[in-house]
Amino acid sequence: MHELGLARNIAAIVGEHTKGRALKEVRVAIGPLACIEKQALEFCWGIVTEKTAIEGVGIGFIDAEGDTFVVRELEFMEEA
Amino acid sequence: MCGTCGCADPANEVSMTNPETGAKVILNGAHDHSHDHEHHHPGDDEPHTHGAGGEIIPLEIAVLSKNDKFAAQNRGWFEGRGVTALNLVSSPGSGKTTLLEATIKRMADKIKITVIEGDQMTANDAERIKNAGAKAIQINTGAGCHLEADMVAQAAKSLDPERGSLMIIENVGNLVCPAMFDLGEKMKIAVISTTEGEDKPIKYPHMFRAVELVVINKMDLAPYVDFNEELCRKNIAEVNPNAEVLCLSAKTNEGLDAWCEKLIDIMKASAES
Repeated sequence: MHELGLARNIAAIVGEHTKGRALKEVRVAIGPLACIEKQALEFCWGIVTEKTAIEGVGIGFIDAEGDTFVVRELEFMEEA
Repeated sequence: MCGTCGCADPANEVSMTNPETGAKVILNGAHDHSHDHEHHHPGDDEPHTHGAGGEIIPLEIAVLSKNDKFAAQNRGWFEGRGVTALNLVSSPGSGKTTLLEATIKRMADKIKITVIEGDQMTANDAERIKNAGAKAIQINTGAGCHLEADMVAQAAKSLDPERGSLMIIENVGNLVCPAMFDLGEKMKIAVISTTEGEDKPIKYPHMFRAVELVVINKMDLAPYVDFNEELCRKNIAEVNPNAEVLCLSAKTNEGLDAWCEKLIDIMKASAES
Protein backbone atom coordinates (compact mmCIF):
# COMPACT_ATOMS: atom_id res chain seq x y z
CA MET A 1 0.00 0.00 0.00
CA HIS A 2 2.72 2.48 0.73
CA GLU A 3 4.00 2.20 -2.85
CA LEU A 4 0.78 3.93 -3.91
CA GLY A 5 1.61 6.95 -1.77
CA LEU A 6 5.18 6.92 -3.05
CA ALA A 7 3.98 6.79 -6.67
CA ARG A 8 1.82 9.85 -5.91
CA ASN A 9 4.86 11.67 -4.54
CA ILE A 10 6.88 10.82 -7.65
CA ALA A 11 4.02 12.00 -9.90
CA ALA A 12 3.89 15.29 -7.98
CA ILE A 13 7.65 15.83 -8.34
CA VAL A 14 7.48 14.99 -12.06
CA GLY A 15 4.51 17.34 -12.54
CA GLU A 16 6.47 20.20 -11.02
CA HIS A 17 9.37 19.74 -13.40
CA THR A 18 7.96 18.84 -16.81
CA LYS A 19 6.38 22.25 -17.46
CA GLY A 20 4.13 20.88 -20.16
CA ARG A 21 6.89 19.20 -22.17
CA ALA A 22 6.26 15.66 -23.39
CA LEU A 23 8.01 13.22 -21.09
CA LYS A 24 9.18 9.77 -22.04
CA GLU A 25 10.38 8.29 -18.79
CA VAL A 26 11.12 9.14 -15.18
CA ARG A 27 14.04 7.28 -13.60
CA VAL A 28 14.10 6.60 -9.91
CA ALA A 29 17.21 5.53 -8.01
CA ILE A 30 16.51 2.94 -5.30
CA GLY A 31 18.90 1.47 -2.75
CA PRO A 32 18.54 -2.02 -1.24
CA LEU A 33 17.68 -0.61 2.19
CA ALA A 34 14.95 1.74 0.95
CA CYS A 35 12.17 -0.86 1.46
CA ILE A 36 10.81 -0.29 -2.04
CA GLU A 37 9.21 -3.09 -4.00
CA LYS A 38 9.92 -2.11 -7.62
CA GLN A 39 7.13 -4.21 -9.11
CA ALA A 40 4.56 -2.74 -6.74
CA LEU A 41 5.81 0.78 -7.44
CA GLU A 42 5.60 0.21 -11.20
CA PHE A 43 2.06 -1.11 -10.83
CA CYS A 44 1.03 1.89 -8.72
CA TRP A 45 2.72 4.30 -11.12
CA GLY A 46 0.38 3.12 -13.90
CA ILE A 47 -2.66 3.66 -11.70
CA VAL A 48 -1.59 7.06 -10.38
CA THR A 49 -0.74 8.50 -13.80
CA GLU A 50 -3.84 7.16 -15.54
CA LYS A 51 -5.93 9.93 -17.12
CA THR A 52 -3.41 12.60 -16.11
CA ALA A 53 -1.07 14.76 -18.20
CA ILE A 54 1.69 12.22 -17.65
CA GLU A 55 -0.32 9.12 -18.62
CA GLY A 56 1.89 6.66 -20.50
CA VAL A 57 5.15 8.02 -19.11
CA GLY A 58 7.39 5.10 -18.20
CA ILE A 59 9.09 4.53 -14.87
CA GLY A 60 12.64 3.20 -14.87
CA PHE A 61 14.79 2.07 -11.96
CA ILE A 62 18.46 2.68 -11.27
CA ASP A 63 20.19 0.61 -8.60
CA ALA A 64 21.71 2.80 -5.93
CA GLU A 65 23.36 2.43 -2.55
CA GLY A 66 21.99 2.25 0.99
CA ASP A 67 18.54 3.71 1.56
CA THR A 68 18.66 6.02 -1.47
CA PHE A 69 15.23 6.80 -2.85
CA VAL A 70 15.32 9.73 -5.24
CA VAL A 71 13.84 10.84 -8.53
CA ARG A 72 17.14 10.84 -10.41
CA GLU A 73 16.30 12.07 -13.91
CA LEU A 74 13.61 12.81 -16.45
CA GLU A 75 13.90 11.82 -20.09
CA PHE A 76 11.86 13.92 -22.47
CA MET A 77 10.52 13.00 -25.89
CA GLU A 78 12.64 14.10 -28.82
CA GLU A 79 11.35 17.47 -29.95
CA ALA A 80 9.95 17.54 -33.43
CA MET B 1 20.85 10.30 2.97
CA CYS B 2 21.52 12.49 -0.02
CA GLY B 3 22.14 10.15 -2.93
CA THR B 4 24.53 12.51 -4.70
CA CYS B 5 27.01 13.66 -2.10
CA GLY B 6 26.28 11.21 0.72
CA CYS B 7 25.62 13.90 3.30
CA ALA B 8 22.96 13.59 5.97
CA ASP B 9 19.23 13.44 5.53
CA PRO B 10 17.65 16.91 5.27
CA ALA B 11 15.19 15.82 7.97
CA ASN B 12 18.04 15.93 10.47
CA GLU B 13 18.61 19.63 10.16
CA VAL B 14 18.38 21.38 13.48
CA SER B 15 15.67 23.98 13.62
CA MET B 16 14.20 26.11 16.38
CA THR B 17 10.57 27.11 16.47
CA ASN B 18 9.02 29.89 18.47
CA PRO B 19 5.71 28.46 19.66
CA GLU B 20 4.27 31.97 20.05
CA THR B 21 4.85 33.13 16.50
CA GLY B 22 5.44 29.81 14.76
CA ALA B 23 8.64 31.24 13.26
CA LYS B 24 11.16 28.57 12.40
CA VAL B 25 14.90 29.08 12.20
CA ILE B 26 17.32 26.53 10.81
CA LEU B 27 20.27 26.56 13.19
CA ASN B 28 22.82 24.35 11.51
CA GLY B 29 21.23 22.55 8.61
CA ALA B 30 22.85 19.34 7.51
CA HIS B 31 23.16 20.86 4.03
CA ASP B 32 25.42 23.80 4.80
CA HIS B 33 27.05 23.46 1.40
CA SER B 34 25.02 24.30 -1.66
CA HIS B 35 23.56 21.59 -3.81
CA ASP B 36 23.45 22.55 -7.42
CA HIS B 37 21.29 19.53 -8.22
CA GLU B 38 18.35 20.64 -6.17
CA HIS B 39 16.84 23.20 -8.45
CA HIS B 40 17.25 22.13 -12.02
CA HIS B 41 14.76 23.35 -14.52
CA PRO B 42 14.29 21.99 -17.98
CA GLY B 43 15.72 24.28 -20.60
CA ASP B 44 18.03 26.15 -18.24
CA ASP B 45 21.70 26.21 -19.09
CA GLU B 46 22.22 23.16 -16.88
CA PRO B 47 24.34 20.33 -18.19
CA HIS B 48 22.11 17.87 -19.91
CA THR B 49 22.55 14.91 -22.18
CA HIS B 50 20.60 13.62 -25.12
CA GLY B 51 19.55 10.00 -24.92
CA ALA B 52 18.04 7.99 -27.72
CA GLY B 53 14.65 9.56 -27.05
CA GLY B 54 15.46 13.15 -26.23
CA GLU B 55 16.82 15.42 -23.55
CA ILE B 56 17.54 13.96 -20.12
CA ILE B 57 17.60 16.27 -17.14
CA PRO B 58 18.97 15.30 -13.75
CA LEU B 59 16.66 15.95 -10.79
CA GLU B 60 17.91 14.09 -7.70
CA ILE B 61 14.89 14.91 -5.56
CA ALA B 62 14.14 12.61 -2.64
CA VAL B 63 10.74 10.99 -3.14
CA LEU B 64 9.97 11.49 0.53
CA SER B 65 11.26 15.06 0.60
CA LYS B 66 7.79 16.44 1.34
CA ASN B 67 7.34 14.18 4.36
CA ASP B 68 10.91 14.85 5.49
CA LYS B 69 10.24 18.58 5.36
CA PHE B 70 7.17 18.25 7.58
CA ALA B 71 9.11 15.95 9.92
CA ALA B 72 11.86 18.54 10.26
CA GLN B 73 9.21 21.13 11.08
CA ASN B 74 7.69 18.85 13.70
CA ARG B 75 11.09 18.26 15.23
CA GLY B 76 11.61 22.00 15.50
CA TRP B 77 8.14 22.44 16.93
CA PHE B 78 8.72 19.78 19.60
CA GLU B 79 12.12 21.20 20.48
CA GLY B 80 10.76 24.74 20.68
CA ARG B 81 8.14 23.55 23.15
CA GLY B 82 10.46 21.26 25.10
CA VAL B 83 8.30 18.27 24.28
CA THR B 84 9.83 14.81 23.86
CA ALA B 85 8.08 12.92 21.08
CA LEU B 86 8.37 9.16 20.71
CA ASN B 87 7.15 7.10 17.77
CA LEU B 88 5.84 3.73 18.96
CA VAL B 89 5.76 1.07 16.24
CA SER B 90 4.67 -2.56 16.29
CA SER B 91 2.44 -5.12 14.66
CA PRO B 92 -1.28 -4.95 15.52
CA GLY B 93 -2.08 -6.51 18.89
CA SER B 94 1.36 -6.35 20.48
CA GLY B 95 -0.09 -4.30 23.35
CA LYS B 96 1.01 -0.75 22.55
CA THR B 97 -2.20 0.79 23.86
CA THR B 98 -2.25 -1.40 26.97
CA LEU B 99 1.38 -0.42 27.64
CA LEU B 100 0.44 3.24 27.28
CA GLU B 101 -2.53 2.88 29.63
CA ALA B 102 -0.31 1.28 32.28
CA THR B 103 2.41 3.91 31.72
CA ILE B 104 0.00 6.83 32.04
CA LYS B 105 -1.43 5.51 35.31
CA ARG B 106 2.02 4.81 36.73
CA MET B 107 3.48 8.19 35.74
CA ALA B 108 0.39 10.25 36.57
CA ASP B 109 2.08 12.27 39.33
CA LYS B 110 5.50 12.44 37.64
CA ILE B 111 5.07 13.60 34.04
CA LYS B 112 2.38 14.84 31.70
CA ILE B 113 1.76 12.53 28.75
CA THR B 114 -0.19 13.24 25.58
CA VAL B 115 -0.88 10.60 22.93
CA ILE B 116 -1.47 10.67 19.19
CA GLU B 117 -3.25 7.48 18.19
CA GLY B 118 -2.93 6.19 14.63
CA ASP B 119 -5.31 3.55 13.30
CA GLN B 120 -7.06 2.95 10.02
CA MET B 121 -10.51 3.17 11.61
CA THR B 122 -12.26 3.82 14.97
CA ALA B 123 -11.41 6.11 17.86
CA ASN B 124 -11.32 3.20 20.34
CA ASP B 125 -7.68 3.67 21.29
CA ALA B 126 -7.96 7.42 21.89
CA GLU B 127 -10.95 6.67 24.09
CA ARG B 128 -8.91 4.13 26.09
CA ILE B 129 -6.07 6.63 26.55
CA LYS B 130 -8.53 9.32 27.64
CA ASN B 131 -10.03 6.95 30.20
CA ALA B 132 -6.53 6.16 31.48
CA GLY B 133 -6.16 9.85 32.26
CA ALA B 134 -4.19 11.43 29.41
CA LYS B 135 -5.06 13.85 26.63
CA ALA B 136 -5.27 12.00 23.34
CA ILE B 137 -6.16 12.58 19.73
CA GLN B 138 -6.98 9.97 17.16
CA ILE B 139 -5.82 9.99 13.57
CA ASN B 140 -7.62 7.64 11.24
CA THR B 141 -5.61 6.94 8.14
CA GLY B 142 -8.47 5.30 6.23
CA ALA B 143 -6.74 3.17 3.61
CA GLY B 144 -3.31 4.37 4.70
CA CYS B 145 -0.92 1.99 6.40
CA HIS B 146 1.19 4.47 8.36
CA LEU B 147 1.22 7.97 9.87
CA GLU B 148 2.88 10.77 7.95
CA ALA B 149 4.57 13.86 9.33
CA ASP B 150 1.90 16.35 8.22
CA MET B 151 -0.80 14.36 10.07
CA VAL B 152 1.31 14.46 13.22
CA ALA B 153 1.85 18.21 12.81
CA GLN B 154 -1.88 18.88 12.87
CA ALA B 155 -2.56 16.44 15.70
CA ALA B 156 0.25 17.89 17.81
CA LYS B 157 -1.07 21.43 17.36
CA SER B 158 -4.53 20.47 18.49
CA LEU B 159 -3.18 18.53 21.49
CA ASP B 160 -1.17 21.60 22.50
CA PRO B 161 1.21 19.70 24.83
CA GLU B 162 2.71 21.63 27.71
CA ARG B 163 6.43 22.34 28.13
CA GLY B 164 8.46 19.44 29.50
CA SER B 165 5.81 16.86 28.64
CA LEU B 166 6.07 13.58 26.81
CA MET B 167 4.18 13.01 23.55
CA ILE B 168 3.79 9.43 22.43
CA ILE B 169 2.78 8.78 18.84
CA GLU B 170 1.24 5.35 18.56
CA ASN B 171 1.72 4.48 14.92
CA VAL B 172 -0.58 2.26 12.85
CA GLY B 173 0.06 -1.38 13.75
CA ASN B 174 2.33 -2.39 10.90
CA LEU B 175 5.95 -3.53 10.87
CA VAL B 176 6.65 -2.45 7.29
CA CYS B 177 5.73 1.06 6.14
CA PRO B 178 6.07 3.17 9.31
CA ALA B 179 9.84 2.50 9.20
CA MET B 180 10.15 4.78 6.16
CA PHE B 181 8.29 7.79 7.45
CA ASP B 182 10.03 10.18 9.77
CA LEU B 183 7.45 11.96 11.93
CA GLY B 184 9.85 14.30 13.67
CA GLU B 185 10.09 12.10 16.75
CA LYS B 186 13.05 11.94 19.11
CA MET B 187 13.17 8.17 18.90
CA LYS B 188 11.38 5.20 17.38
CA ILE B 189 10.53 2.43 19.82
CA ALA B 190 9.36 -1.02 18.71
CA VAL B 191 6.98 -3.13 20.79
CA ILE B 192 6.84 -6.86 20.18
CA SER B 193 5.05 -9.46 22.26
CA THR B 194 5.97 -12.94 23.31
CA THR B 195 2.99 -14.38 21.41
CA GLU B 196 4.39 -13.17 18.10
CA GLY B 197 7.41 -15.44 18.22
CA GLU B 198 11.11 -14.67 18.46
CA ASP B 199 11.77 -14.13 14.78
CA LYS B 200 9.84 -10.88 14.17
CA PRO B 201 13.08 -8.83 14.19
CA ILE B 202 14.68 -10.88 11.42
CA LYS B 203 11.42 -11.08 9.44
CA TYR B 204 10.99 -7.29 9.49
CA PRO B 205 14.59 -6.06 9.71
CA HIS B 206 13.95 -2.57 8.30
CA MET B 207 11.70 -1.68 11.19
CA PHE B 208 14.03 -3.04 13.84
CA ARG B 209 16.95 -1.24 12.25
CA ALA B 210 15.08 2.06 12.55
CA VAL B 211 14.46 1.84 16.30
CA GLU B 212 16.67 2.56 19.30
CA LEU B 213 14.70 0.59 21.86
CA VAL B 214 12.75 -2.67 21.65
CA VAL B 215 10.12 -3.51 24.27
CA ILE B 216 9.16 -7.17 24.60
CA ASN B 217 5.64 -7.18 26.00
CA LYS B 218 3.40 -9.94 27.45
CA MET B 219 6.27 -11.55 29.39
CA ASP B 220 3.60 -13.04 31.69
CA LEU B 221 2.61 -15.30 28.77
CA ALA B 222 6.16 -16.34 27.90
CA PRO B 223 6.03 -19.76 29.63
CA TYR B 224 2.73 -20.68 27.93
CA VAL B 225 3.84 -19.87 24.39
CA ASP B 226 7.37 -21.29 24.72
CA PHE B 227 8.91 -17.88 24.19
CA ASN B 228 12.71 -17.98 24.06
CA GLU B 229 13.91 -14.60 25.33
CA GLU B 230 17.56 -15.39 24.64
CA LEU B 231 16.82 -16.15 21.00
CA CYS B 232 14.67 -13.04 20.61
CA ARG B 233 17.44 -10.83 22.00
CA LYS B 234 19.91 -12.52 19.64
CA ASN B 235 17.64 -11.84 16.66
CA ILE B 236 17.26 -8.19 17.64
CA ALA B 237 21.04 -7.83 17.99
CA GLU B 238 21.53 -9.44 14.61
CA VAL B 239 19.62 -6.69 12.78
CA ASN B 240 20.37 -3.85 15.19
CA PRO B 241 23.32 -4.34 17.56
CA ASN B 242 22.74 -0.90 19.12
CA ALA B 243 19.13 -1.42 20.13
CA GLU B 244 18.34 -1.58 23.83
CA VAL B 245 15.90 -4.30 24.93
CA LEU B 246 13.37 -4.15 27.79
CA CYS B 247 11.18 -7.08 28.82
CA LEU B 248 7.89 -6.35 30.56
CA SER B 249 4.26 -7.17 30.96
CA ALA B 250 1.83 -4.26 30.64
CA LYS B 251 -0.83 -6.48 32.22
CA THR B 252 0.96 -7.62 35.38
CA ASN B 253 3.19 -4.50 35.60
CA GLU B 254 6.32 -6.69 35.65
CA GLY B 255 9.26 -4.64 34.33
CA LEU B 256 7.23 -1.42 34.16
CA ASP B 257 9.49 0.45 36.57
CA ALA B 258 12.50 0.00 34.30
CA TRP B 259 10.41 1.16 31.33
CA CYS B 260 9.22 4.28 33.17
CA GLU B 261 12.79 5.07 34.25
CA LYS B 262 13.92 4.68 30.66
CA LEU B 263 11.24 7.15 29.52
CA ILE B 264 12.45 9.68 32.07
CA ASP B 265 16.07 9.16 30.92
CA ILE B 266 15.01 9.76 27.30
CA MET B 267 13.20 12.95 28.32
CA LYS B 268 16.24 14.20 30.25
CA ALA B 269 18.55 13.48 27.30
CA SER B 270 16.10 15.24 25.01
CA ALA B 271 15.99 18.33 27.22
CA GLU B 272 19.80 18.51 27.34
CA SER B 273 20.38 18.08 23.62
